[in-house]
Amino acid sequence: MLSLANVQVVYGRAIEAVRDVSLEVEAGAIVALLGSNGAGKSTLLKAISGVLHPEGGEIVGGTVTFLGEEIGRATPDDIVRRGLIQVPEGRALFATLTVEENLLMGGFTRRRSEVAEGLDRVYALFPRVHERRHEISGYLSGGEQQMVAIGRALMGRPRLVMLDEPSLGLAPQIIDGIFETIVTLNREEKLTVLLIEQNAQLALEVASFGYIIENGRIVLDGAAEKLRANDDVQEFYLGMSGGARKSMRDVKHYKRRKRWLS
Amino acid sequence: MDFLLLLVSTGLVTGAAYGLIAMGFALVYKATGVVNFAQGELMMLTAYVSFSVADRTGLSFLMLMALTIPISMAIGLLLERIFIRPMLGEPVFSIVMVTIGLAVILRGLVILVWGPDPAVFDVGLPDTVIRLGPVPFYPAQLVLVAAMAGVTTIAWIFLRFSRIGIAMRAVAANETAARLSGISVSRIHAFAWMFSSAIASIAGVLFAANFKLAPDMWFQGMKSFPAVILGGLDSVIGASVAGLVIGVVENLFQGYVGQGMREISGFIVIVVVLMVRPYGLFGSREIERV
Repeated sequence: MLSLANVQVVYGRAIEAVRDVSLEVEAGAIVALLGSNGAGKSTLLKAISGVLHPEGGEIVGGTVTFLGEEIGRATPDDIVRRGLIQVPEGRALFATLTVEENLLMGGFTRRRSEVAEGLDRVYALFPRVHERRHEISGYLSGGEQQMVAIGRALMGRPRLVMLDEPSLGLAPQIIDGIFETIVTLNREEKLTVLLIEQNAQLALEVASFGYIIENGRIVLDGAAEKLRANDDVQEFYLGMSGGARKSMRDVKHYKRRKRWLS
Repeated sequence: MDFLLLLVSTGLVTGAAYGLIAMGFALVYKATGVVNFAQGELMMLTAYVSFSVADRTGLSFLMLMALTIPISMAIGLLLERIFIRPMLGEPVFSIVMVTIGLAVILRGLVILVWGPDPAVFDVGLPDTVIRLGPVPFYPAQLVLVAAMAGVTTIAWIFLRFSRIGIAMRAVAANETAARLSGISVSRIHAFAWMFSSAIASIAGVLFAANFKLAPDMWFQGMKSFPAVILGGLDSVIGASVAGLVIGVVENLFQGYVGQGMREISGFIVIVVVLMVRPYGLFGSREIERV
């Protein structure tokens, strides 16, 4: 559905943030993109959504194809209209607007009737959001804000949703709820999901396929269960070695090289 | 008592002009984050264009406005396209500098085209004095106040309920998120310039009708600045209310303190208000969740 081929992103014509990234998101799948801070995950998502330009970033090589059409040069609103919608990192709500106004803006590219329908759908999915619809969104709790952010994306009638660290700064219980919703949307509404996470454990539980990105490159990919079984992933992303959790005291990073770096 | 009433009533008239100009400032600032220093010049330019239209056609006041407003919107769009759009993504300060440059260009342009001498702008309003209680008004004065009330109401409804209006607030709140929601930010910026230019033209024509049409009219833009700050910079409604406040305060200072006080009284009000409320009377505070 979405496929990237050798995408290269450069900031300020000098700093290469993403290099030769190729990935594939099949229709109906949940695909995870894992990586630590600064690996280039968010940059990649911004590149796909076409919003790098104001930050001085640019796709300088490779192709981004969505539903068979090249969208590497498309404007952000065009990309949203095609059904490729991002839930940005840290929610990024319109803080001064009410919850409902946030949702309405999510449906900016859609017809009036579709917007009304979308509101009903989001409120049915998140009763909590319905309760707080007239409140200023900036004052909501983190979990509620994340629901509004997801709801806002759903208002645009996406075929593929890209979630940038939905778990960021949320309590474990809230995160579980959010992930449940994502899985439900995927199962019941056939929504395709590209999930970006630092929390590899969580992401590989719901995803069917995963990519690992480091220093702007994809270093490993595979089916989720295969990744979970991989020694390197276990050690560096899941914090396990030999199946048992180990004490941080015993971690000696220099002893063990990541195999994909050699 | 009569003296006070007179000062207040004429203050409200001048204040209405300030309010209209200030709303133009606030609208562009709200949507684009840029203080458009050419707002006063835009008002002057559109007033002169309207003057030329009136001169050629001799239209009635309402017809003249019906023609002036769309023309001004086109001018606003054009200026945004030529001067502001290419600056997208540049630092705000650079864009503000561009508006200052634009202001100087427009001042020159007006003198170049229409000459340096003041002109009498007959907008087609009668000049019979109307008495409201003890206070006499010219029709043009009442129209100015009514126009400000009307524009304020329309602006409020527009920003509160219309799709484009909410989108303007959304862009102001988070530009990247707006892009990710499919809002074309550059189109919203263009809309803001268009509407702000329309408001400028209403202010310009009515100011010229009440006072004079001269190439130093742009200075009213600077004089409206206290109203913009007082209103809170990003509050369109606040700007209009603050305009009235500044207009009345100026008149009272002039009447009771002395001629020289008029020019600085607005700024004194700002200093006092900003000490108490740094975000202006109606401006939005940073939303911070603790």
